[in-house]
Amino acid sequence: MLLEIFLTLALGIIIYLFLTRKKEETLPIEEGWWGKGQKPDYEEDTTVRPFKVETTEAELNDLFRRLDQARFTEPLENSCFQYGFNSVYLRKVISYWRNQFNWKKQVEVLNKFPQFKTKIEGLDVHFVHVKPSSLPEGRSAKPLLMVHGWPGSVYEFYKIIPLLTDPASHGLSDEHIFEVICPSIPGYGFSEASHKKGFNSVSAACIFYKLMLRLGFHEFYAQGGDWGWLICTNLAQIAPNHVKGLHLNMVSVTSMRFTQLLSILLGRYFPGLFGFQDEDVRRMFPFLKKGLYRILMETGYAHIQATKPDTVGCGLNDSPVGLAAYILEKFSTWTDPEFQKLEDGGLERKYSLDDLLTNVMLYWVPGCMVSAMRFYKENIGKGIGTQKHEKLPVRVPTGVASFPNEVLHTPQSWAQQKYLNIISFNFMPRGGHFAAFEEPELLAADIQQFVGRVEKEEPWSEKGK
Amino acid sequence: MWQQILQSVRSFKYPWRSVILAPAALGAGGLLVCWLLSRRKIKTLEMGDGWWGSGERPPREKEDERIRSFQIETSDREIQELHQRLDQARYTPPLEGVAFQYGFNSTYLQKVVAYWRNQFDWQKQLEIVNQYPHFKTTIEGIEVHFVHVKPPGISKGQAARPLLMVHGWPGSFYEFYKIIPLLTDPAGHGLNEDVVFEVICPSIPGYGFSEAPHQRGFDTLAAARIFHKLMQRLGFQEFYVQGGDWGSRITVNMAQMLPKSVKGLHLNLVFISGGLGRLVSLLLGAYVPWLVGLTREDSRRLYPYLEKNVYELLRETGYLHIQATKPDTAGSGLNDSPMGLAAYILEKFSTWTDRSFRDMDNGGLERKFSMDDLLTNVMIYWVTSSIVPSMRFYKENLSQNPNTAPDARIGVYVPTGIAAFPQELAHCPRSWAKKLFKNIVVYSYMPRGGHFAAFEEPELLAQDIRQLVRKVEHL
Repeated sequence: MLLEIFLTLALGIIIYLFLTRKKEETLPIEEGWWGKGQKPDYEEDTTVRPFKVETTEAELNDLFRRLDQARFTEPLENSCFQYGFNSVYLRKVISYWRNQFNWKKQVEVLNKFPQFKTKIEGLDVHFVHVKPSSLPEGRSAKPLLMVHGWPGSVYEFYKIIPLLTDPASHGLSDEHIFEVICPSIPGYGFSEASHKKGFNSVSAACIFYKLMLRLGFHEFYAQGGDWGWLICTNLAQIAPNHVKGLHLNMVSVTSMRFTQLLSILLGRYFPGLFGFQDEDVRRMFPFLKKGLYRILMETGYAHIQATKPDTVGCGLNDSPVGLAAYILEKFSTWTDPEFQKLEDGGLERKYSLDDLLTNVMLYWVPGCMVSAMRFYKENIGKGIGTQKHEKLPVRVPTGVASFPNEVLHTPQSWAQQKYLNIISFNFMPRGGHFAAFEEPELLAADIQQFVGRVEKEEPWSEKGK
Repeated sequence: MWQQILQSVRSFKYPWRSVILAPAALGAGGLLVCWLLSRRKIKTLEMGDGWWGSGERPPREKEDERIRSFQIETSDREIQELHQRLDQARYTPPLEGVAFQYGFNSTYLQKVVAYWRNQFDWQKQLEIVNQYPHFKTTIEGIEVHFVHVKPPGISKGQAARPLLMVHGWPGSFYEFYKIIPLLTDPAGHGLNEDVVFEVICPSIPGYGFSEAPHQRGFDTLAAARIFHKLMQRLGFQEFYVQGGDWGSRITVNMAQMLPKSVKGLHLNLVFISGGLGRLVSLLLGAYVPWLVGLTREDSRRLYPYLEKNVYELLRETGYLHIQATKPDTAGSGLNDSPMGLAAYILEKFSTWTDRSFRDMDNGGLERKFSMDDLLTNVMIYWVTSSIVPSMRFYKENLSQNPNTAPDARIGVYVPTGIAAFPQELAHCPRSWAKKLFKNIVVYSYMPRGGHFAAFEEPELLAQDIRQLVRKVEHL
């Protein structure tokens, strides 16, 4: 009798191990072609060409004409930002855009960092590449890939780049100096949009992987939030030997396990049982209000973009006023949900109008709102939790900077289900979704300390480059 | 035993008998009266009151109740400005081979805009729009617009039955322009003239030529109450109501508020909220439909449930989600870009008419509708700048928990007719509708047609409305 039990147990364990072993598969690198029409027979041009943002009088005049003829709808009395972007404040923003915002000057600001384009898998990929201006004796810069999200752009990183490439000049420790590469996701900004359907986060990760190889980097760090979070996660899944460390300012868990569900129901009362810290409880509960209600209230845009991107983006590509309202609403609500109660959406509390409008121009000038929105359909159009990569873990050393006003809070115990090697998880004292844009110092400091931890385990290998 | 009781009762002396019999009789009589009264007493929705104008409601002023004639006008300037915006439209090429799967296909949109710019004649369309008499009147602080069409000629002894028809989103009163003549002039269209209507089509406040509310909270109950006041102002104590989309919710609220005024309720879309019972019915219905009151046609339309209903609804309700949460943001660009507005609105006229149209490069738009009619409807939103207020209606109505809303527990007792169109967004079987509608006298499976029933299949809809009236009036 005992023998049978023993044999059954042994068999069970063997089967279990066999099944769990299967989960070790990495995400395969896809060979895609996203250009127009058929893929040509000849080899792709792999040169990296310098690029500068330019503007013309005609472009400006067209924008001004559209701003001048804007049609607004009076808001409901006492509605602030609760029905969306308040049109009384929108008029002020448009007036500033028309009369004070200096696009030519902002273009110079954009061009102060070197930019390039290169063709990968049929698409012209745009990126910013900033090397440190000077390096101390015997030191080398660590390559850091930083990926933006929606409705952001490479411009979100313009304040944090100097803190990473030249920390000494900004009063920070120069233990780690980086050279930063910020690509525009294909379909965003000056990166060409895919002509074929199916271009999702894994496709973007494959392209960025090829980009880093092309630039001569075999080991690099990756940082991201919003779509950047997902693309960098996929990068760590397809090329774990190349991604030295993965730093995220946003984490989302897309496959809901039973334990997570249980933790939602009971986590408030037995936090320790589910690995919740006090700060987790403070941010997550009451769950109906801070979780479920927040999701419903704030994900309308994702729902429509994941189903009808061409419809919703159409008017936004034709009306700069509509585009500004749609984008800036996020910079208000995702920076602090309480901003909805303010008549001006609290927009200028954390950002300057110049910075906000420069980001909007990076959607207006290239006319990329529709292609940017299509990314939602390609990634979540079939449903959340349905894609292969969502079920695969991440083994690369991971660091998480958890900002208090992020739209949804993910506690470490949940993140650990997917990110098996979290070596740093810090609660930030302030800041929301657009971390690099809003709190560059805090984010830079966290990246620095994360890299420090990674290096302690495994010092930077010179020959890898 | 009975004999014994009778004997003992008869044997009582007089005072004893009356002591027992009188109260017994009173008791029985009282019970009878109570029973009769309870059958009459239907719970109704409270009407309440409202003020939707700017600022504070003026304290003593009595509202101006005059009904003013109204004609829709345009100007060269308005048309030129529209043309200029269409000329400067910026398009994004669609992905290869996706037809309407990602939304309105911009290659086809360019054709629509070219037609709009070069062939569509707004002045000519306005003549068509103005062929029926339009009016405006102030109710609860805002101007309410409506079309009021009386029968051209009516035979002796006949009375035109008043019929209130309420549109939805993204429609307008214009959707009824093909069905109106069939209802007001059946003889002129080969139909029996036993049932003739005078039709009133208002614009929901915030839509088209009705002023938008300036205050928060304008929901279907407020609209229902305003339309009741409108009908009373027009002198109608009893009338029929018809609606689909928001019109359905509003007319149902009207029947819940003042059932004695609503002679009959006709719907081409039924909103019914879920519950445990429905879930059970759904699960069982896949295997034993007859057990849960589902017909074969119901089964055909409902199953496979996940695919046909859950995924479909998720796929098609992005607009609802964003409009119910951020209407001012969603509508901002649409009020400024006519081509964006057209894409947003016409996408619904494609997909909600027939889901398979998503697989067509031109969205199948012109299969059931003429471009002139479609663009006239879009123009109504454009020239009145009403897209944002029309979207706010979603937030006002969907912000509360549907199970605790005031109208959730109130049954509908007026005679009801339901026309179930095959391509409607969600199918509601009669057995489910019965939970709310206690007096369904007509339930018809329509052979063809989608969400915009009056616009797409006016004859079929008119037939069903007339059938309801015949049943109600025992004709």
